[in-house]
Amino acid sequence: MINLSHLAERLRRITAEVADSGASLGSGVLWPPGCVVTNAHVVRGSRAAVRLIDGRRLEGQVIARDADADLALLRVLGTGIPAASIGDMAAPVGSLVAAMGHPLGVRGALSVGIVHAVGPIRPGGRSWIQADVRLERGNSGGPLADASGQVIGLNAMVVGPLALAIPMREVARFVRAAGVSGT
Amino acid sequence: MNDLVTLSNGLAAAVQQTSRSIFGVTARRRMGSTGVHWRPGLVVTADHTVQTEDDITLTRPDGRSVSATLAGRDPTVDLAVLRVDAGDVPAARIGDSSAVQAGHIVLAVGEGPRASWGVVSSIASGRGGAGRALFDLDLTLYPGFSGGALVDVSGQVIGINTSGASRSQHLAIPAAVVEGLLDGLQRRGHIPRPYLGVSTQPVRLPDALRQRFSLEQATAVIVVAVQPGSPAAQSGLMIGDVVVSLGGASITDPLDLRRVLQPDRVGETVVASVVRGGEPRELQLRVGERSR
Repeated sequence: MINLSHLAERLRRITAEVADSGASLGSGVLWPPGCVVTNAHVVRGSRAAVRLIDGRRLEGQVIARDADADLALLRVLGTGIPAASIGDMAAPVGSLVAAMGHPLGVRGALSVGIVHAVGPIRPGGRSWIQADVRLERGNSGGPLADASGQVIGLNAMVVGPLALAIPMREVARFVRAAGVSGT
Repeated sequence: MNDLVTLSNGLAAAVQQTSRSIFGVTARRRMGSTGVHWRPGLVVTADHTVQTEDDITLTRPDGRSVSATLAGRDPTVDLAVLRVDAGDVPAARIGDSSAVQAGHIVLAVGEGPRASWGVVSSIASGRGGAGRALFDLDLTLYPGFSGGALVDVSGQVIGINTSGASRSQHLAIPAAVVEGLLDGLQRRGHIPRPYLGVSTQPVRLPDALRQRFSLEQATAVIVVAVQPGSPAAQSGLMIGDVVVSLGGASITDPLDLRRVLQPDRVGETVVASVVRGGEPRELQLRVGERSR
């Protein structure tokens, strides 16, 4: 029998809620150790509160930002912070994907769909993982994972019924460029 | 977790398998659509996406363009068949659409390839024409997906997707309907367009009339014009006749006439039940063929 509860639990552990003095701004991925990757449009200031699944609220400091790539990296201080498992495999069209985030303020919500296409949505544009999965405001910065729980993209945008995620390869490049050694 | 990975791999394999037989279709101005290489040299697409008959270009799975001609069309079921030199593009694996049930997981595959998934939400019998069914889909048909393949989890094509001319519907025409259309096309060399030679308007049936003739339908169609020499004229159909059924199917509005008049009805004699001057009559109508 198909059961997605293990996948949901695994993703919940590595998904942070990024907030600003109480108001939830979006989601983030715990990776690499001690860091949170999210969208630049989620954290506009230099600091943000990061809430983990265990209820801890940590102070996050923005240590790198790329507005064009829509990526930001926060450092959080704490012990025993889990880290996402990052996939580097191609995501074939049709394969299952799961998104975790806090859409419309609902904490730790799972959405499931498939890869719609991989590539630009307009000729010459940047390459996205385009997913046939329902996302809302608050999913931004959260993980898009494959069926095994490997994070393959960072959810960034919604175009009609289509979710657009930044491929993890691009996110990893951004993290490396920020001088943080990832796993 | 392993079940999930197996399902995921199966879905991806189904898309990959199908995409080898998927063409992009450029036969209207604003947006392309999708076609399925159904039988060697014959690509099936949604009729409403074919707005030109002279200048049709297909895009092969490898991205190369080839020109195509219109082999036939059946607007009543929203199917068009294009003839093309498909070269080494394989024909799709066609599944048994009669085995499809509401609740089955399905994929929609468009040119690109692009894909969406969902379930068959219901099977509406009769809406595809007399005795024919349509699949109602709970999935997103993205722009350009009309004419694309509805695929089951084993990678077999079980229908042709269409959002309809309104672009707001999520339907699929079962593979069996496509097979029937192609059989007729290959037998006759073209898809005939049925012709009666009659113009009608919807009309409400008075309660007294409905009770007298035990009619469940609230509406029928009234004949407002009959073309001289047409099958309708030869059958004796007259202006003012109220047609309540044709070929055994209730006629509640003018569209019902088109739904009954499928291409394979050409040459058949069907019974029209009409009310003339308050009295029932049955007329024998031989379905003609619209000149090409």
